[in-house]
Amino acid sequence: MITNSANLILSILIATCLVILQETMSNIFWLISIDMPVSLGTFISTYFSNLYAMNLSGAVPLIALIGIGFLIAYLVTKIILIWVNVPRSYAYALAGAAAVLAIVLLMPLAFYNLDILAGGRSTLGKSILTFFGLISGYYFGKTLDKQRAS
Amino acid sequence: MIKKLLSFISLILISFISYSGEQEYKYEIIAENLSHPWGIALIDEDDILFTELSGQLRIIEKGVLNPEPINGVPEVLFAGQGGLSGIILDPNFNSNNKIYIAFSSPDDGRKTNTLEVISATLSSGSLEEVKTIFKASPSRKTAAHYGARMAFLDDGTLLITSGDGFNYREEAQYLDNHFGKIIRINTDGSVPLDNPFVANEQAKPEIWSYGHRNLQGIVVVDGVVYENEHGPMGGDELNIAESSRNYGWPAITYGKDYSGATISPFTKKKGMEQPIKYWVPSIAPSGMAYYEGSAFPGWTNSLFISALVPGDVRRLEISGSQVTNEEILFSDLGRIRDIVASPDGSLILATDGPKGKLVRVINK
Repeated sequence: MITNSANLILSILIATCLVILQETMSNIFWLISIDMPVSLGTFISTYFSNLYAMNLSGAVPLIALIGIGFLIAYLVTKIILIWVNVPRSYAYALAGAAAVLAIVLLMPLAFYNLDILAGGRSTLGKSILTFFGLISGYYFGKTLDKQRAS
Repeated sequence: MIKKLLSFISLILISFISYSGEQEYKYEIIAENLSHPWGIALIDEDDILFTELSGQLRIIEKGVLNPEPINGVPEVLFAGQGGLSGIILDPNFNSNNKIYIAFSSPDDGRKTNTLEVISATLSSGSLEEVKTIFKASPSRKTAAHYGARMAFLDDGTLLITSGDGFNYREEAQYLDNHFGKIIRINTDGSVPLDNPFVANEQAKPEIWSYGHRNLQGIVVVDGVVYENEHGPMGGDELNIAESSRNYGWPAITYGKDYSGATISPFTKKKGMEQPIKYWVPSIAPSGMAYYEGSAFPGWTNSLFISALVPGDVRRLEISGSQVTNEEILFSDLGRIRDIVASPDGSLILATDGPKGKLVRVINK
């Protein structure tokens, strides 16, 4: 139980860090494209600043949003896995992807159809974010598979 | 007993009369229960045209609100921040009755929309000779950040603020679109030949300045163009706008994104203009007026900016390109959407929301 909870939290943390990485990269890459003087130091400091601000001073704490999304998606997956026999890593990967995609698609409905996660405005951005959800879910499912095997 | 009565009476008096430095003022409600009043244009001190975001053009005649909206207003998209927005009288209104209105206009199928500006003649309760003189391109899917304020330059050309559409912020840095720009056109919709980018084939010829976000106030004072614009979370700006200049959004900004993310770590860059004032945290500036009246001598030659958050008016004293003093006024009225200076020396405010009011500030 404790191990599962720790892995769940870690999976949420991985997703949060990756989503913030994508948000940072999308802004920084655009700044580079218009010849703004972006250095590696600028990128790193912006990323760490975003890690703090997007979780503690934004309109919605990102980690809470992802946490709620993952909890719902994982719970539904756990129920489905009672009847469906597939590797947990794949099932939870899909759940993580679905959770992040749902967040990206549903958040604008609460904000006048505006994309609050700027990195998710384009189809490519949405795809990358969904892929990061998939990685985080895969990690969680893989840990469950390992526990079962041991 | 008498003391208690006196203190009770003085409390009542204080609640109706406010003080600003040496200026004593009081409020007079001109009209109330208005549906999101947005833009005000004064014909004279007692005859006032104003827009309601929900799509009505209203008129106050001899100080009394006509219950019937003016006919002939085009269909608007009333959604999010969109609707019937800015309004301005032609400089020769007294002889030609022409007005200009900016609004969010739905495209066919209503999946997209854009900022549109019309000219029209006001004639006994209706608009006639309605003509589209500007339509921002390309259209947007969002219903936010239209700008939609207007001002006339001394040469008779019309400046229109065009916001970045929120989701399209990077477009403010490119000249092939109207997002995040100040537009300059003639009143018939044609492009002045001396616009700064007419020779650039890649650029929209109507563009006068660029790199703006959501410009909500613009006034011209002795040929100097002041414009205010919403920053994101923090970084609201007051700028002196000039032809061909780049105001930096979103490459430089003093604000953060609503998610908390850094939009840009830069606040300055060569070739990008600095605001003459910025606000962190945001005040959400809305309308803007320059006061030259004498009813409040202490306020003469001040710039007034109405603000939505937390809801007040900023009186700014400006010397050259420096803001030398800021005073917060009228913070007991809630969100204020627009402000104009009346020829009689009073100020007229529009409070925001579905039960908005027009309020006149007069000298006590």
